[in-house]
Amino acid sequence: MNLSQLPKLDTSTQAFFRFRSLPNTKTVLLTGLEGNYLVLKDDEFARFAQGAVEKGSPLEKRLSDANFLRATFDTQKAADKWHDRRRFLDYGPNLHILVVTLRCNESCIYCHASRANMDAVQTDMSKETAEKAVDLIMQSTNPNVTIEFQGGEPMVNFPVVKHVIEYAREKNKAAKKQLEFTMVSNLSLFDDEKLKFLLENKVQICTSIDGPAHLHDKQRKMPGGSAHQTAAHWIKKINQAYETMGLDTTLYHVEALLTTTRDTLPLWKEVVDTYAELGCRALFLRPVDPFGWMEKTAQRVEYPRAEYMEFYRNAVDYMLELNRKGTQILERFASIFLTKILVDDPNFLDIRSPAGPGIGQLGYNYDGKIVTCDEGRMLYEGGDPSFVIGDVRTSTYRQIVGHETVRAMAIASNLDQQPDCVNCTYNPYCGTQTTHHHKNFGSIFGRMRESTLCAVHKGIQDYLFERIGQDDPAVMDVFTKWTTVRPRDHFLQDAAKG
Amino acid sequence: MSEPFKNPLVSTDLSKGSVLLEVDAAVYPLEALYGASYVFIDRAFVFLEKPNEQRYRVTISPKKPGADEAALQALVGEFSNELLSCAWRAQITQANRAVIEAVTLRAVAGAMGPPSLSELANFDFTDAPLEDPLGIAMSWEEKYKKKDKKPDAPVAAAPEKTAAPEKT
Amino acid sequence: MTRVSFDRSLYQGPCVDEAVKTFSAHASFQLTEEPKAWVVQLDAKTPELERQIAGELGNYALGLTIRTRGSRTP
Repeated sequence: MNLSQLPKLDTSTQAFFRFRSLPNTKTVLLTGLEGNYLVLKDDEFARFAQGAVEKGSPLEKRLSDANFLRATFDTQKAADKWHDRRRFLDYGPNLHILVVTLRCNESCIYCHASRANMDAVQTDMSKETAEKAVDLIMQSTNPNVTIEFQGGEPMVNFPVVKHVIEYAREKNKAAKKQLEFTMVSNLSLFDDEKLKFLLENKVQICTSIDGPAHLHDKQRKMPGGSAHQTAAHWIKKINQAYETMGLDTTLYHVEALLTTTRDTLPLWKEVVDTYAELGCRALFLRPVDPFGWMEKTAQRVEYPRAEYMEFYRNAVDYMLELNRKGTQILERFASIFLTKILVDDPNFLDIRSPAGPGIGQLGYNYDGKIVTCDEGRMLYEGGDPSFVIGDVRTSTYRQIVGHETVRAMAIASNLDQQPDCVNCTYNPYCGTQTTHHHKNFGSIFGRMRESTLCAVHKGIQDYLFERIGQDDPAVMDVFTKWTTVRPRDHFLQDAAKG
Repeated sequence: MSEPFKNPLVSTDLSKGSVLLEVDAAVYPLEALYGASYVFIDRAFVFLEKPNEQRYRVTISPKKPGADEAALQALVGEFSNELLSCAWRAQITQANRAVIEAVTLRAVAGAMGPPSLSELANFDFTDAPLEDPLGIAMSWEEKYKKKDKKPDAPVAAAPEKTAAPEKT
Repeated sequence: MTRVSFDRSLYQGPCVDEAVKTFSAHASFQLTEEPKAWVVQLDAKTPELERQIAGELGNYALGLTIRTRGSRTP
């Protein structure tokens, strides 16, 4: 359906709307400024666009309820919702990434972080640098603060990880933040003592699983062993520990991330099965990014995004089937977009407008350099310092978040200034990554029609709205579960105790 | 077999390793031309000319010499896409300026928070010279006082040049 | 010798000057003014080097003009 196909338009009755034909469904999606939406059949859309909706008809009621009619437009509701969806603007960075080392004992074909060899001790963060980073973190205007340990493999520099946790807890006695810690690890350097420390200190644990063992081990080389077997062993052990501690294992479990390579694409069923067998209840079907080693390995690893979307649809269809049969597993992209569509903005930093760099997250490199985001430090390690905005030794908090690069990124990731996005039906739910554009186009603005990121975001939202439009109660039941955010209070540090 | 499409606004010069693009000044504002040019200065030499009021002329030469016809066509194609994108963005930002500024201000102010006492103590409260391009801060006498009339620079139409830099 | 003619309506004079100063160690430069252009003639050791310096000079002057002017015309 296309407006030019309609013989006569009367634009006097509609409120503001954007529209998009949903592929192969004979339906049209409408979205409004505040994130309201409606899926119409082609003939219903024609009547809407022609200003020929019958008075008192069910269609008129649906349009009115969804705030798409000028006569009944609820300005207050729209304004409140628009404001609510952007309440993240009122607070500073909540995600603080500490790159405690670049050293790593695994070697991944797509390594975005440009890992260093195990003897490269010069890439370890010192305790002094870590303390200065924590001092800055505690000045964030955000009452919620998560310190995320990344690498390399952060467990390589475990003494500094321990020190940061103890130092931050001590500092938090005065700062009184809702403080959390996350460890992003390949798990291979875990031992019982380290696990005990992490569990006692309520550190969330997150790892990478690239699918079935043969694929994981092919992509993530670990000298002298199977990276998959090791990760699987510790995932089960950690999940068991949560159970022993009396925690609800549907809520508390190891989070795992997938990096989708060309070899992953035919293995959508095996990937989902692997996650389900490991007890991972969330699967994030992330495509590869252009950072780090991808510059050299892209020819072997990259793929057209149309093929990725086929993979994505197959995998999520299969996950829906598993859910109907009682296995709880969700896809993270779907969960983020569905929450935006059906409930509210979940403040996912990479998919929001404006996006998170600088104003929602900060990165602290092992050498003390402060970057706008995780991708910023990946580029820095590759020799591009464009997203370095300070140094823990010399910068003040307000200098960092008020940096001109942060402001430029906030403007460039605002969809209301972006060609294509400004008219896109998915504008209320979407977001772009300036670092991605910088790498691919040489400009933080990028060009959406040529962006792989845009292709993925549009493709996923097409899929979700097709499913929503079908209105299958079983699917909608699963979708509703995927949008239910249950707080994981166990991971909150007790500010009073330090 | 049909001839490959030749864009009359584009010409390549393999001997100089450069491609030349004529840009309609009525369609593409200078803002957009600057924006697109800036994106390319890390990989190519970009030179701008204005042969007449209606046209800009852009010469793009890859920094690495020896580009063939296909590489030059691809480069100018990408430049044209970027130029179009910048032109549209210039329009959008003008139309949405208020909302973009409001959101950015709220985001940066929300992240920065109020200044601390020590930051206020170090703040320079002396009046820095303000830029005043419209002369708003000037007195009427200052603004309209008689100036020493200097002869206008000659404005005879310069002959159209070939793409610079040119070898002499 | 390479001659680069910077149109006054597109390049700011001080930015061209600054660019010449920046590259002055790498070639010899001669600056002249024409009614509609700032003209720079440069000599370098080899034609390849001259191409590179002329190109970088142009980029530098352009980048500086864009940076300096903000949203105003030159």
